[in-house]
Amino acid sequence: MLKLGVFELTDCGGCALNILFLYEKLFDVVKFYEIKEFHMASSFKEHDHLDVAIVTGTVSTQRDLELLKHARSHSNYLIALGTCATHGSVQGGVEGKIREKLEKVYGTKANPMKALDSKPITEYVAVDYALPGCPYDKDEIYQVLMNIANGVEPPKKDYPVCIECKLNEYECVLVKKGIPCLGPITLGGCNAICVKSGLGCIGCRGPLPKDANPAGEFEILKELGYDEEYIRKKFKTFARGELRW
Amino acid sequence: MRYVKLPNENFDEFFNSLKNWGKVYAPVKQGNIYTFKNVEKLSEVSLNYTRTMLPPKKFFVKPRDEMLRLKDSRWEKCGEAEKTVLFGVHSCDIHGLQILDKVYLDEPADPYYKERRENSIIIGISCMPDEYCFCKSLGTDFAMSGFDLFLHELPDGWLVRVGSVRGHEISWANEELFEEVSEDDLKNFRAFEERRAKAFKKKLNKEGLADMLDLAYDSPVWKKYEKICLGCGNCNMVCPTCRCYEVCDKWINAYEAVRERRYDSCFMVSHGLVAGGHNFRPTRLDRFRHRYYCKNYFDPEAGFNCVGCGRCDEFCPAKIEHVKVLDEVREALE
Repeated sequence: MLKLGVFELTDCGGCALNILFLYEKLFDVVKFYEIKEFHMASSFKEHDHLDVAIVTGTVSTQRDLELLKHARSHSNYLIALGTCATHGSVQGGVEGKIREKLEKVYGTKANPMKALDSKPITEYVAVDYALPGCPYDKDEIYQVLMNIANGVEPPKKDYPVCIECKLNEYECVLVKKGIPCLGPITLGGCNAICVKSGLGCIGCRGPLPKDANPAGEFEILKELGYDEEYIRKKFKTFARGELRW
Repeated sequence: MRYVKLPNENFDEFFNSLKNWGKVYAPVKQGNIYTFKNVEKLSEVSLNYTRTMLPPKKFFVKPRDEMLRLKDSRWEKCGEAEKTVLFGVHSCDIHGLQILDKVYLDEPADPYYKERRENSIIIGISCMPDEYCFCKSLGTDFAMSGFDLFLHELPDGWLVRVGSVRGHEISWANEELFEEVSEDDLKNFRAFEERRAKAFKKKLNKEGLADMLDLAYDSPVWKKYEKICLGCGNCNMVCPTCRCYEVCDKWINAYEAVRERRYDSCFMVSHGLVAGGHNFRPTRLDRFRHRYYCKNYFDPEAGFNCVGCGRCDEFCPAKIEHVKVLDEVREALE
C-alpha cells in the first residue's frame, strides 16, 4: 500500500473536489493507496512519511508555504495539481506588490493573514509531476496515480490543445470562425473540451512547456482584428507573465 | 478499364445498393468543414465538397486506435474491421492512401491497417479545385488505381470507371442501373477534365526539387518561417500521408488497461527524442524544415509524400502555404 496525501493551498477547491469526482474509480485508487490526509474528504489525518503528495493551489500565505514545505519534505513523489500549483493561474496573474494590493483593497498595508504574492508551488519546491488545468481532466490524475502505483513513470504531455482537437474532428474555431483560440500554444490534455462547445481555448492549462510561440499567436490574433491589450490580457490570465516575447 | 454510365435517375438507387456491401461513409458538411460520416440517404452527402478536414486515412489508421487490451494479465488484440464503403473519395486522397499502403502494407504489414483496407470499398468522385489545390502539379489529380469505382460528373449522370474486381462485382450486381457509354458522354467527360485542368490556381514547381532542398538546408527562409509557425501540428493531423503515431497505455480500472495509438506530429518536441536523451530536432526550425524534407525529398525515387490536397494550408492557423514556402526557398537560392 502506498501512502497518499492531498494538500490544499489557496485555491477555489475545485482541484481537490475533482479527485472526489472520480466516484467509483476512487475504489481503484484506494486499492493501491492509503489516504493519510485529504482535508476535503475526511477529517482523518496522520502525520507520516508519504509516497505520493498531491498539492493544489498557489502559495498565497505564510501558512501555504509551510504546508507546502511539509508536503515536500514528507513525500517521495510530489504532484503539482491544477494550474494554480503549476503556473499561478488567475491569482498569480494579479500584478503588483502584496502590500500595495492590500492597501488598495483594505485601505491599510497591515497584513495580519501574512499574505504573500501568489505564486505557483513550482517557484518554491521541486515538483516530480506537474499536471495543469483549471480544472484538469479527472482522468488525467487517475492515470498518473495508477501509473505510479504500477511502478510506471507517468508520461509527460508535450502537445498543444490542437492535437486532441483534431483527433476529435472538431471544427477549428480559430481558422474557420475567427474566434480567439489559444489552443496552438496551450498544453493539451483537456481533450479540447472548450472547442467541442464552439468556444476558443482560453489557455487554462498554461503554455506548451517547451517552444511555444506566443509571438506568432499574437500576430495571428492581431490580424483577426483583436486589439493588443485584449490579447495581452488573454495570454496573462492563467500563465502570469510566462507568455512573453 | 471498363466504363459504364450511371444516369441521374438511377443514382439514388445505386447509392442505396451500396449498403449491401458495408456501412456507407460519405462527405457531409458540418459547420464550416466537411467530414466523412456514416450516411443513410444520398441527400445527406455533399457531392461537391472541397476536402474533408481529416482525410479518409482516418478509417484505416484511426485518430485514436485501440490496439491491445490488458485483461486477466493478458494482452488481447482489439479492433474488428467492419465492412466499409467510402463513397466520394477525391483522387488526391486515393493517391494518399496508396502512399500509406506502401508504408503500412510492406512487410511486416500493419495488421490493423491491412484488415481494414481489405474490408473497405473505395468509390471515387470527380471534383473541381479550389484555391488550395495543387494536385495537378504532383500528378495526383487523376487516379488510375486504388479505387473500386470512380464516378465522373456528366451533365445527365455519371461516367463510372471500374477499377477492381470488386468494382466489377458491384457493377454486375447493379447491371440494370447502368447504361453503355455513348460518344457524347465521352465528349462531356473530356470537356469536364479540360475545364478542371484550367481551374487550378496553385502550382508547385517540382523541377529539381530534391537538389534544390539539398542546397537549401541553411536557407534563411526556414528561419523566417520558424518565427511564424506555431508548431501546433495541425498540418500533420490533417495530412493524408502523415503516418507517425504515438503509442500510449491507459488504465481502465485497477487491473485492466488499453494500449492505444494516436496520430503524432513531427512538430512535437518529443518526436525527435531518442533513448539517452538526444533529440534529433530540438528546435522549431529543425522541425519546420523537417516536414518539408519529409514531404518532398527523403526518397525521390519513391515519389512525393504529398498529394497536393491543400489541407495543411487550409487548416494552418498561421496561414503558412506549402507551395509558397518552397517557392521562397527556391528564390532565396537563385
